[in-house]
Amino acid sequence: MDRATYAIESLKMLIIVGIITIIGNTVGYGIGIIEAIPGMIMIIAIGLVSLVLAREVPVNFPGIAWAILIATILALPFSPVQGPFLEYTERIDFLATATPILAYAGLSVAMQADRLKQISWKLVIITVIAMFGTFVGSALIAELILDMQGII
Amino acid sequence: MDSTETDEWDPIRTTGRWTFHLKAHLLVLGIVIASEAIGTLEYPVGPAAVIVLPMLYAVIFGMLISFRVLGAYITSLRRIAPKEVSAISTPLILISLMPLGVRYGTLVAPAFWDIIEAGPAFLLQEIGNLLTIFIGLPVALLIGLKREAIGAAVSVAREPVYGIVTERYGPDSPEGIGVLGNYLIGTFIGTIFFGILGGLAPLTGLHPLSLSMACGMGSASMMTACSASLAQVSTTVAEEQILSFAATSNLLTSFTGLWVVLFIGLPLINVLYAKLYPILGGDD
Repeated sequence: MDRATYAIESLKMLIIVGIITIIGNTVGYGIGIIEAIPGMIMIIAIGLVSLVLAREVPVNFPGIAWAILIATILALPFSPVQGPFLEYTERIDFLATATPILAYAGLSVAMQADRLKQISWKLVIITVIAMFGTFVGSALIAELILDMQGII
Repeated sequence: MDSTETDEWDPIRTTGRWTFHLKAHLLVLGIVIASEAIGTLEYPVGPAAVIVLPMLYAVIFGMLISFRVLGAYITSLRRIAPKEVSAISTPLILISLMPLGVRYGTLVAPAFWDIIEAGPAFLLQEIGNLLTIFIGLPVALLIGLKREAIGAAVSVAREPVYGIVTERYGPDSPEGIGVLGNYLIGTFIGTIFFGILGGLAPLTGLHPLSLSMACGMGSASMMTACSASLAQVSTTVAEEQILSFAATSNLLTSFTGLWVVLFIGLPLINVLYAKLYPILGGDD
């Protein structure tokens, strides 16, 4: 897929995701669709830039990392656009942005169902332990360091 | 690599495929409306709670509707959600991560100075990810796994970890099967698992900020489920701070996680394997 097609198709998909998100935002969090539109336009613009950067910049830096980085820069305390940027984007509840991702993710996992058959139940147990162990290990070290620093 | 990356994005083309696109996005809209209408459910467990977020219904509804689950038995459903819908949904995950990414940026930035202050904890807790090796590997050997354990127990295998283990050992090697298992199982149950774990985590007695850092382990959806549930039950720390700490930790993991696994995790698990296998590894 060439660069222009990728950008145009990505923009179309971002607009569709944007519409789904602000509808979910109304149903779940009671924020009006019209109120949410300016913030969603900003989000779509940043999203498009991020997706293009993820494709064009030759480092292993995924689209979501670009999106976080760009939005962070715009929202920093010393950013001249912090006030309006936060005012409009905060009208989209952050949980409302997560639900469409997981809906697509749920639909897509079927593509991998065949590969799952190769996996034994033993690997399921070890994966659960790996997830749990990673969580507990990180939390314990964070607790130790934050405590030593006197932050908590 | 370049050609597979191009293929990966191909389903987003709408030309000649708009009926499949219409089905995919309308299905997602329906799932989103249903999930948000149910809303967040909370079942208190002492100072913690089992939190069931709308995103968790969404992933379950999506899996159920797909062509391999209920669709495999119900013909009319297979017409609504054919294989093409699942194919379109795969790159759409990456697209739909954009609004979440922007919202995380708006949470991280106002907490900027708090995050800088907690910098050492952010960096060092990455090493905490290695604890899983000391628990996972012995259990894996006890239940009869062999070299598969290397791939399965080394870390939470998201894309970068899956990539390096597969590259080093080959996709058909036991290590490759192990990491594939970890990756796939994480894809299927990771969000649900961490959504529940985040709400119950305060039972450990650890501080919400430590727990929020632990939520970031390289998967945006797992981190979001984990930190949103944690924020729901935490009374001592503001929701925004929990979410911003988790997002920062997750971002760091996507930078450092790969290197920690490559330079520390894999050598360490290989040394431990050599020591533990003669003791714990069963005969065939």
